[in-house]
Amino acid sequence: MTDVSFLLLTFFILTAQFNVPDVETVTTPSSISEKLLPDASLMTVLSTTDGKFYFTPVDNGTERMQLLDKMGEKYGVKFTDKEKVEFTKVQSVGVPMNQLKGYLNLSEDDKKAFKSQTGVPLDSTNKQLIDWVQKSLEVNPDYKLAVKGDVETKYPKVKALFEGLRDIDFLKFWLITSQEVAQ
Amino acid sequence: MAEVQVKDSSGKGGKVRSQKQPPHVDLTPMVDLAFLLITFFMLVTTFNKPNVMDLGLPAKPKDKTQTPPPTEIDLSNSISLIIGKDNRIFYHQLDQAGLNEQTLQETSFDREGITKVIEQAKARAKDQTKFTVIIKPTDDAVYKNFVDILDEMAITKNEIYGITDIKSWEQAIYDKKVGGSAPAAPAADTN
Repeated sequence: MTDVSFLLLTFFILTAQFNVPDVETVTTPSSISEKLLPDASLMTVLSTTDGKFYFTPVDNGTERMQLLDKMGEKYGVKFTDKEKVEFTKVQSVGVPMNQLKGYLNLSEDDKKAFKSQTGVPLDSTNKQLIDWVQKSLEVNPDYKLAVKGDVETKYPKVKALFEGLRDIDFLKFWLITSQEVAQ
Repeated sequence: MAEVQVKDSSGKGGKVRSQKQPPHVDLTPMVDLAFLLITFFMLVTTFNKPNVMDLGLPAKPKDKTQTPPPTEIDLSNSISLIIGKDNRIFYHQLDQAGLNEQTLQETSFDREGITKVIEQAKARAKDQTKFTVIIKPTDDAVYKNFVDILDEMAITKNEIYGITDIKSWEQAIYDKKVGGSAPAAPAADTN
C-alpha cells in the first residue's frame, strides 16, 4: 500500500501544473459555463482594467522563435539569437514591437519589475495584438485562443479585439470565466 | 514517529524470546501523509483549470456582393437589450417611432430581472423558434456585462442572438434616460 501510494504521489506531483500568476491581476467575470479550459496549444490575450492588452504566446520554444522571426520581419526589427532565447522564456508580451528588443535585453529582475505603460497596441491604425495572433496562426494553425478579460474592461476595448479577430477570420475562441457562485 | 518496538524481556520465569527479531517500524503516519498529499495534488490538478465560455463570431463578408440582404426581424419576435453604464440594462421591443424614455424599460442583471424579461418576451413571441435577442452594448458597458448577457443567453437557452452596435436613435433615448433619471436605481450589484 505504501508503495502504491507513493507511486501515485510521485505521479501527481510530476503531472501537477502550477499556474503561473498573470502579469497583472485580473478578475474574470463569472458564468454558468462548466466547461474547463482545454489542454490545447493555447495563446492567451489578457485584457486589464485600464484597457491594456498582454499577449501570451504558446509555450513552445521553437514555435515561439518562429513567431518572433515573423513579427520581426513584419515590423522590421532584427532580433539576435540571444534575444530569441530570451523570448522563449518570457511569460507574455506587453510592449509594442519597437520596445520589445529593449525589453528582452533587460535582466531577469528588471523584467519582473517592469510595468508596461502601454500593453500591446490595438487601435484602428496599429493592430499589433491582432498581428501577434495572426502570425502565431501562421506558425501553427492549430493554436487556440483564450481571452481573459477583467470585469471592468471597457466594452469598446473588447469590441476592438473581437472586430480585429473577425478581420483575420479567426472566429472561434474562448472567454475565460470563473465558476458562478450560488446566489 | 517511527516507533521501534523492542520486547521487554524482564519476565523472570518467562520464556526468553529471541532478541534477533527485527524492530517494527510503524508506517501508518507516513502512509497517511502520503495519501493526504495525493489528495492535495489531485485536487490541485483539476481545480487550477479555469472555466471557459465558447464564443463564435460571425464571419465578416469578404466583399459587398456577398452580404446577405438585411433581414427584417418582426418586432414581437425580438427583444433589444441595451447595456448601459453602472451595470444597468434596458430593454425594448419597439421601433424608432415607438421608442421614447417611457417605453425604454430598465431591468437588472439578476434572475428576477433580465431572465424573466427574456422569458416573458419569448412567451409572447409570434414564432418562438425564431425569437431573437439583439444585444446592443453601449460604449459605457464593461466586459462583465457582456459576459453576463452571453451567460443569460445560455441560461434562457436562446440560440439566436446577435451582438450589434447601438443605433443612433436608441443611443439618444438611452442618453436621455441615463442622464435624465436621477440615480434612484443604484447598480444591481457591484461586486
